[in-house]
Order: sequence, then C-alpha cells, then structure tokens
Amino acid sequence: MASFIQLLVSGLATGAIYALIAVGFTLLWQTSQTINFAQGEFVMLPAFFILIAMNHGAPFWLACLVGIATSVVVLGILFKFIIVDPMLKHGVLPLVISSIALALFLKEAVKDFYSSQAQPFPVLVSAGDFHIFGAVISSQSLVVLGVAIVTVVGLHLMLNKTRLGRMMQATAQNPTLATILGVPVRKMVLYTFLVNAVLVAIASILISPIYLAKFTNGETLGMAAFLAAIIGGFNQVRGAILGGIILGILDNLSAAYLSSQYRAAFPLIILIVVILVRPQGLLGRVEERTV
Amino acid sequence: MSRAGVLAIALFALGAIIAPFMLKPFGIFLISMWAVLTIAAIGLNLTLGYAGQVSMAQGAFVGIGAYTLALLTQAGVPYPIAFVASGVLCFAIGWLLGYPALRVQHHYLAFVTLAFTTIVFLLLRNEEWLTGGIYGVNAIKRPVFFGWNTGKAMDYYFFCLGVLSVISFAVWWMLRSPWGRAFVALRENPVRALSLGLDTRRYTLMAFAIGSMLGGFSGALFASLVQFIEPASFALNRSFDLLLMVIVGGSGYFMGPFVGALISVLLPEWMRITEGYYLIIYAALVMVMMPLAPYGIVGLIERGYKSLTTKRGQQKPASVVAERAAP
Amino acid sequence: MSPVLQVNNLRKSFGGIHAVNGVSFEVNDGEILGIIGPNGSGKSTLFNCVLGQLHPSEGEVRVDGQVTTGMRPCDINRLGVSRTFQLLQVFPQLSVRDNLILAGQEHQGTMFTRLIGRSDAGLGPAADQMIEFFRLSHLKDQMAGMLSYGQQKLLDAAMAFMAGPRLVLLDEPAGGVNLTMLGHLRERLQAYHAERKATFVVIEHQMEFVMALCTRVLVLAEGKLIANGAPEEIRRDPVVIEAYLGHGMNAA
Repeated sequence: MASFIQLLVSGLATGAIYALIAVGFTLLWQTSQTINFAQGEFVMLPAFFILIAMNHGAPFWLACLVGIATSVVVLGILFKFIIVDPMLKHGVLPLVISSIALALFLKEAVKDFYSSQAQPFPVLVSAGDFHIFGAVISSQSLVVLGVAIVTVVGLHLMLNKTRLGRMMQATAQNPTLATILGVPVRKMVLYTFLVNAVLVAIASILISPIYLAKFTNGETLGMAAFLAAIIGGFNQVRGAILGGIILGILDNLSAAYLSSQYRAAFPLIILIVVILVRPQGLLGRVEERTV
Repeated sequence: MSRAGVLAIALFALGAIIAPFMLKPFGIFLISMWAVLTIAAIGLNLTLGYAGQVSMAQGAFVGIGAYTLALLTQAGVPYPIAFVASGVLCFAIGWLLGYPALRVQHHYLAFVTLAFTTIVFLLLRNEEWLTGGIYGVNAIKRPVFFGWNTGKAMDYYFFCLGVLSVISFAVWWMLRSPWGRAFVALRENPVRALSLGLDTRRYTLMAFAIGSMLGGFSGALFASLVQFIEPASFALNRSFDLLLMVIVGGSGYFMGPFVGALISVLLPEWMRITEGYYLIIYAALVMVMMPLAPYGIVGLIERGYKSLTTKRGQQKPASVVAERAAP
Repeated sequence: MSPVLQVNNLRKSFGGIHAVNGVSFEVNDGEILGIIGPNGSGKSTLFNCVLGQLHPSEGEVRVDGQVTTGMRPCDINRLGVSRTFQLLQVFPQLSVRDNLILAGQEHQGTMFTRLIGRSDAGLGPAADQMIEFFRLSHLKDQMAGMLSYGQQKLLDAAMAFMAGPRLVLLDEPAGGVNLTMLGHLRERLQAYHAERKATFVVIEHQMEFVMALCTRVLVLAEGKLIANGAPEEIRRDPVVIEAYLGHGMNAA
C-alpha cells in the first residue's frame, strides 16, 4: 500500500508535467492545425537556455525567468512566424514534415553547440522527504505537483474566466464565427503560441532535474505529449490534462507491477485502442463531418 | 508520359548502370543503399503520395522484412523463399494496419502508425529468443543464383538494381492501370470516390498492404547489404527518414522516391566537410524547402518544365478546391 | 412495374434534431422529380440517406424494389444510383478525361482485371463521348482543378452519368452557376433525359430551373413533406408559400 501511494504520487507528478506539455500541444492543434512534432524538443530546449544564463552568472531564479522569456521569443514568436505561418496554406502534412525537421534541428543544435552529455540541472527545492501513511514522498514530487497544478489551474481560469481566455477558446473552436463576432483571431492564435512556449518552459524546469538536461529528452517527452493529447481528446484542454495524468500514473505503475521491458508499449496499446474505439479521445468532442 | 520524362528516366537508368564502375567499394555500398531505400520509399509514396494515407510505419516494415530474411536464411530456408516471405508477411501486416485507416484519418492515422513503429521496435529489442535483442543478427548471407554469387559489392549492387527495376516497373504498371486513378481519387476525395462505386475500403487496405510489402522487400535487401541488423536501425527515425525522402523527392510523383532517397543517402557524404553539422544542415534545408516547394524536388522540376513549355503557364495548384470540397 | 425509387417513412436525427422526419415518396421510371424547400429542410440529408452516405435512423429505401438501407454507397452506386454534390466534388488533380473514366471504371470487371487490364479500362471512347456531349472537348486533358466553377459543375454532372445510371440524384446543380452556363446545363440535362430515358431527382433553390426542368415537385419543410404536385400547382400552393415566407425566403 505504501509503495502504491509512493508510485501514485510520483505518477501524478510526472503526469502533471505531461499534462502541461499536452495542453500546449492541443492548443496549437486547435488554433492552427499544427501538429507539432517538435513539442518534445520544445521541452528539452528551455533547460539549456537556463543553463546558458546560469553559465553567465545569473542566479537560478533569474535564469528561469530568462529561460521562459527566451522560450516565448524563440518557441513562440519565431516558431509561429518562421515555421508555421508560411506552411499553413499547404495543409497539415508539409507542416508535420517541417516540425519533424525542426525537432531534428533543435536536437542536433544542442548536441553540437552545447553538449552531448546529460547536464545536471538544479532543483526548485532542495531534497527532503515526507512520510505519509508510511509512504516516503520526496519533496521534489510535491513541488512538481504543486507548480504543475498551479499552472494548470491558472491556465484554466485564464481560458474560462477572462475575456481574453474566452476569445482564445472561441478562436480555437470556430475561427470563422470568432472573426464574425469581432474576436481578433490572428492575435489570439499568436497568444496560443506564446502560452505553449510558457508551458513547455515550465515543464522543462520541472522535468530537467529528474531526467537531467539532455538533447535526446524530447523523444520520450514528445511521444508522451501526443499520447496524452490523443488519449484525453485532441480538441479539449481538459482532455489533455486528464490524458497526461493517466499516462503519468500508468507509466509509474506499469513499470513497478508489469514487465518493465514493455513499459513503453502499454501507453501505445492504450492509444491504439482509444483511437479505434473512441477516436475523439476520452473527453473529446466528435468533430462533426457532413457530406 | 512526356518525351522529356522518358528521357530523364533513361538517363537516370544509364547513370545507375555506369556508376558502380566509377566508384570505390564504399561508393558502391552507398548506391546499393540508395537502391534498397528507394524501394521502401516507393512503397511509402504509394501509400502516402498516391493514396493519401499518412504512415509513419514504413521503417518498421523495413525492419520486419530485414529480420524475416535474416532469421529464415539462418534457419536454412532458401534465399528466394525467404525473400518472398519478407514481402508476404509485410503485406499481411500492412493489410491489418490498414484497418485503423478505415476508421481514422490524417493525424490520428499518423499516431496509430507511429505507435505501431514503436511497438515493433520494442518487440525486436525485447524478444531476444527470436531476434537476438540489442545484439541483433549478424553474418547475414548474400544470395547465389544459378552460380551467380552476389557476395561482392558490385554483384550485390546489380542484384538490388535488378529488384528495384522489377518493382519500379510493377508499380508503374499499377499506377497507370485504373488502380492508380482509384488511389488518387482516394487521396483527393474519398466520399466522392465512394459515390462513384469505388470500394474505398478495399483500395485503402491495398494501398497499405502493397506499400508495406515494398517496405518488406527493401528490408530483405537491406539485411543482406549490411549483413548485420539491430533494432535501432528500424526505430522511429528510420520511418521519419523515409517520410522525408518521399516528401523531399516529391510525394505523389513517380520519380520522387528515387530522387529523395538519392539525396538522403548522398547528402551526408557530400557534406563530410561540415563534419558533425550535416544533420543540422539537412534539417534546415528541409525547413527552407517546405514552404517554397511542398511538392518536392521532382514536383518543382515538373512545374518548372511545364511553365516553360505551356504558353499559358497557368499552373495553379488545385488543392484549395479539394480541401474546400472535402467533407 | 415497381417505381425506380421508393422512400418509406424515412427518419434521420442528429442528436435531438430530426433532419428528416418521416418522409415517404416514390419516383417513377423516366420522371424528373424536383425537391425544393428552405435551407435546413432536410433535402441533402435525404439524398445522403438514399445513397448510403448516412444511415437513416428509421425507415427504408428501395431501388427497383430492392432494399438498399444499410448498404455502402459504392454498392448502391453499382446498382445504378449516382449523384452529384452540392459542393464541388471533382478530382482536381486528375484530368477531365480521367475523372470520367474513374466514374465508370468500377462498374465493370473485378479488382484483378482492372489491375492487369487497359489503362483506360476500355472506357476511353465512352468518356470522350460524354465529354463531347457536355461540350468539354477543348478541356479534356486539363486538370479538373483548373476548370472554371461552371465547367466543374458540368463535369460533376457528366461523372454522375458516366456509368449509365438508372437514377441520378442532382444536389443543387445550378448553385453558383452563371446564367449562360445554367441554360447550357439545363439543356444538356434535358437532352440526356430525352436520349437515355434516365430518371432524375433534383434538389434546387433556383426556382426557374426547377420549374423548367421537372415534371413533378416535392416540397420539404422542417424534415417533412408538405406538398407534392406538378410545378404549376406547387407555385400557387399557399402552404408552400407560407413555408418559404415563414423562413424569410423568397419563393421566386
């Protein structure tokens, strides 16, 4: 039981990080039909922005702010204007190809210009364990969980309670109608790219102390984002959150109780089943098709 | 086919025949790799370029084909039977993988095939009793036909080129038959195709199965070419690589895979001077090319040629109409 | 002789909305039946149910007496029912000629004979004839996507006729077509009808087009059939006028 609670909490923590990545991923899909195959690399990269800032003598908190700001510029603004916008008129597939190339580009750039070795990354709060019902829970897990929950709740409030958020949602759900209603759609689309950049930067700060900062990190993280987004529902922010959490818990529990060799296969099998049985995802809306 | 097209193909074929006599062994290895990967790219071009079914599983089929050939020949099965078995097994698995495509399209299909590729990789890595796990399979034989031993690099290259020629002809035949028209219809507007009596289900499965079968044949040739295979050769990156070949070459163009594979195989060699930066440059080139020429190099050449030869030169792509009319 | 098409008590609902709510009618051999009605009255849904693109929630469809409800569109099409679509539905990356050959090729032989057989499936001459008939000869090797809107509409109709169908469903053939092209289209449809004795069902908003072309007209409103009669009767029917004006539309 104790170890189960331990696994559950660490699963929740991982899942919360996956959820952040998946939410950004679905936002981009909703507002601009961008399947970002570089989303994993987007999480890998901010950690290196932070490390570079720290190498220049910035304290960790300042480096984090610099990292987030750099992400917003590079992974938000530059990504949208240089990669996505020129490709939109060509349809989904060429953009997929571009984002695959971008993933390769980012990965190789970090390897060649920073390091191919895993880099240690500072933790937000120094280690220390809590004992709850006999289970040992690391403070790191709790901090990760806390930050992720605050971020997700904050995002949720922003999307649902503010005028800006509602305009973003309207843009995501029906850009044509949103335009008619006077929503500045282009600006809203840009904002979703910025939100995504902030989310991946936060995810990067949370996950890098655990995985260490390494150029290959994006491969597993990107896959986790796709899986979470599809399992939960490609067109729903709530779905992506649920998908991320399910995936994180599943990851931890299956590694402990089932064949660890095939640990990576379980989410994939769930993915295939979900796509075949309920392609819109657990919480997704059916994208109506008429003849 | 236009006269210019025939001329281009003839020159290409002539080049492929002359090339090995002017190359060192490593050069012959590279062009053999080109012939082998072209076959897989032709298969993917059929599934993706013509029939419009997004697949990120072609690398997995190359893997299945390679392991089938390697394991069967090591068990003493004659080469020709093992070779055919590689294709047939991939045909069957490809047919099954086509079923999800009947339910879901586009990005969903991309993810199903992506998951499939990862699962195949895990199986190859974990089922040591069968596949040798991370140690792979080595000492894979090259075939002997009626006294012709293809063990030497040059001989094996001509064997690969022969297989490529036969497959190219078969695919060309299929694409000029009513099937080719049906595949394009499937890509452009499946709903309309269905209302014109096209059994879209059967054509979709066929497109998947035949494309996968070519992946399998490619894998069989790959195994004997490198003579040592390991799971990592068939991970997701291989599928991405094949996808890039098809798109960069020109998806939906017959010559696209030939050109795409050539670039993918030769570019790293040409860029030796850039040392480790080759992949960065390749990725950057793809990103630059995509918005400028999403129809690939062959598409670019064909459009350029057409606008030179037609007086009106109104080569407006019609895809906008297709997207608007699609359900 | 049984009617070409029988629709019995057909219902189709999406969620709680009854798009088609208990519609029954018959189409006799050689008829040109018009179906009119305000936007959202269920006309296109009705077509989709007849050709199998949607499965009706209730009721049945018979073609030449054979129940087709539940069959796939491709199988219904091979029974001799073809259709055009409201939105343009040609294959832009195929030539005009290939579009037409495609429309006929699946009606003969098997998958295997199509694979090993001739590239044009023996339909080249028939396609050329159809191109001639719709006066598209000068465009026959053009990519369909490069045709004008009106020309694509003609091609769309030509494709529906290519396999020599028993029954053709035309979904707003006149929509968005200019007046010259409209006259041409109507004249060609009438010529085809006279020549081959085909049966048509036409959905149309363009009232003059319907009145000139059709021998009988059905009126749908809110998923129900509200009138059925000769064009002149329908034009004067107060119920019909009410249905249109009630939706703020102009009947003429």
